[in-house]
Amino acid sequence: MSPSRGKSSSLRFAGGTPVPSAATLEREFAAGARPGHHQNIFEVEDEGSQRLVMNFGPQHPATHGTLRNIFTLDGETIVEADVEIGYLHTGFEKLGEGMTYQQWVTVTDRMNYLSAMNNNVGYAVAVEELLGIEVPPRCQALRVILCELSRIADHVLCVGLQGMDLGAFSVMLWAFEKRELVYDIIEAVCGARLTTSWTRIGGIIRDVPEFFPDLVYQFLDEFPKLHKEIHLMLSGNRIFKDRVQGVGVVSREQALSWGISGPIARASGLDLDVRRDRPYLGYDQYRFEVPVHPDGDSWARYLQRMAEIEQSLEIIRQAMATLPTGPVVHEDFKTSLPTKHNVHTDMESLIHHFKLVMLGHGIRPKENAMLYSSTEAPCGELGFFIVSDGSDTAWRIRIRPPSLYNYAIFPRIAEGIMLSDSVAILSSFHIIAGELDR
Amino acid sequence: MSAPHSSAEGHAPQHPVRAALPPALADSIIDEVTHGHQTGLFVRTPDQRPILEHLRLAQGFEFLKDVTAIDLLGRDALERFQVVYVLCRITDQTTIRLHAWLPEEVESVPSVVDLWDSARWGERETHDMFGIVFDGNPDLRRLLMPEDFPAFPLLKDYPLTGQGERRQFPLVRPRGAEMVEEAPGPYPVSIGRGMHTPEYIEEVKRESKPREE
Repeated sequence: MSPSRGKSSSLRFAGGTPVPSAATLEREFAAGARPGHHQNIFEVEDEGSQRLVMNFGPQHPATHGTLRNIFTLDGETIVEADVEIGYLHTGFEKLGEGMTYQQWVTVTDRMNYLSAMNNNVGYAVAVEELLGIEVPPRCQALRVILCELSRIADHVLCVGLQGMDLGAFSVMLWAFEKRELVYDIIEAVCGARLTTSWTRIGGIIRDVPEFFPDLVYQFLDEFPKLHKEIHLMLSGNRIFKDRVQGVGVVSREQALSWGISGPIARASGLDLDVRRDRPYLGYDQYRFEVPVHPDGDSWARYLQRMAEIEQSLEIIRQAMATLPTGPVVHEDFKTSLPTKHNVHTDMESLIHHFKLVMLGHGIRPKENAMLYSSTEAPCGELGFFIVSDGSDTAWRIRIRPPSLYNYAIFPRIAEGIMLSDSVAILSSFHIIAGELDR
Repeated sequence: MSAPHSSAEGHAPQHPVRAALPPALADSIIDEVTHGHQTGLFVRTPDQRPILEHLRLAQGFEFLKDVTAIDLLGRDALERFQVVYVLCRITDQTTIRLHAWLPEEVESVPSVVDLWDSARWGERETHDMFGIVFDGNPDLRRLLMPEDFPAFPLLKDYPLTGQGERRQFPLVRPRGAEMVEEAPGPYPVSIGRGMHTPEYIEEVKRESKPREE
């Protein structure tokens, strides 16, 4: 039996109501009815107006995380932009008031999940500065090496995603492939890939394995090829250049006033780098340059990250050549955890371990000691403002995430540009939602 | 616990930034604490605005790194809150903190969005987390918490457990041999305007109460 044609559709809702046909919907729409589900997508302000309000995110592949942009569009031009953040808010700062200093290291992993090492090290440096201790030279050098490796992984992924958003998909895949080399090294030194929790206050978990130099030198051999390939693929690419040149210009004055740091600030001519300006972990022992671009557009931010990768490779080469031997944990076991081997074989170490780990003993900075300490994370200046009340948990831990201050300017930059350009800007800003919302 | 301020004023050498302030402004600084490589200057609340203006316009502190606050509830402190400004002069990389003591009953502190744009989101987040109102900030909407969230989570009297549905039910506790019903504790109310007025909180509680008969 053939289905009868020309009659109403046999599709029905769960309640039994027939599903209206497209023609019916069209007729109703022309008569002034507005379907409910359309209200979230656009609203017509008045007759004849072309403006529509569009949610760009929080679930859009080009937003690189749960970022919600609310654009008011006139045609394809953004006339009004607003952002809403907080979708990944997990209360890290409140957690810091209830966890001991050592425990909170695990929370820092979850901030910038693309380069968790930098967060671990930044937090460890902040607490060590608060306590006034300095870690041994080998630990410093290893932290520098792992930080720079993570920075390269973060930058190369950002460049790859920038290419992907603008149509150069293969760059992203190449970046992901070589990024695995970094994650192999991270896995070898701490057992985890993303949530590393590698540092301890006063040191690191354990010394690196014997084959660590082989892995790093293999990376140093293989990575520059990818760097060159990306340059060949994107730097002379007419399509890519047309999409990013002159798009999303952040001036130096804007960068300064909005508190922008990291590659975005340096691509706008603002010459700031915590590694050089206030050296920590012996960064002053290494020769490296801080590249600066004056233009401030998405193209400059791309070139900036590519140039910073070269400098990071240079730092790793120097640090590997001068890697000292010796302990990796600060010798004062009032503040630093003894090594696991000693805990198992040595009575003193076991007592120290017990005292440090038990709640209510632990590390105790001086009462009312407070310090804002910052390190250079891949996205910019990562600061920790720690207020101690003399107990083993902090009274207040404030995180100064680079992404928060970098993102605040985005609605200003997005107003007046084309919708497709906002993707090119957002990918070059490299906002990490975990760090933005904390 | 002793107060985070002490009366060591005048004995230790002054920080160059403090020494460069004009006498009228320098008088309002009640304390100076150096820990590690960094100095914090302490003032009482409306006084921070002229000092910040001087630091920005005359001393070249062009980079406001962060705005945040500390809740010192239960501590032996001068006032309940401190609003903290972290400033940096990028020419010589001097970083200094300015702490403004803020009593609980004071309604608002002056905003500095006209001096630094980075204060926009810094103050907005501080409002979101502590309920401190920055007078003059045009956009003090919720930043990280949902729009209809009635409380301020980084306050020390914000309960860590029992928030949400559990508050709708009376608390049953053993007292001696018998069980006694207790009414749920009061909702945390602190300084600030807008979302957390008692009327608003009552409204939220009424609307979210499912088992009212």
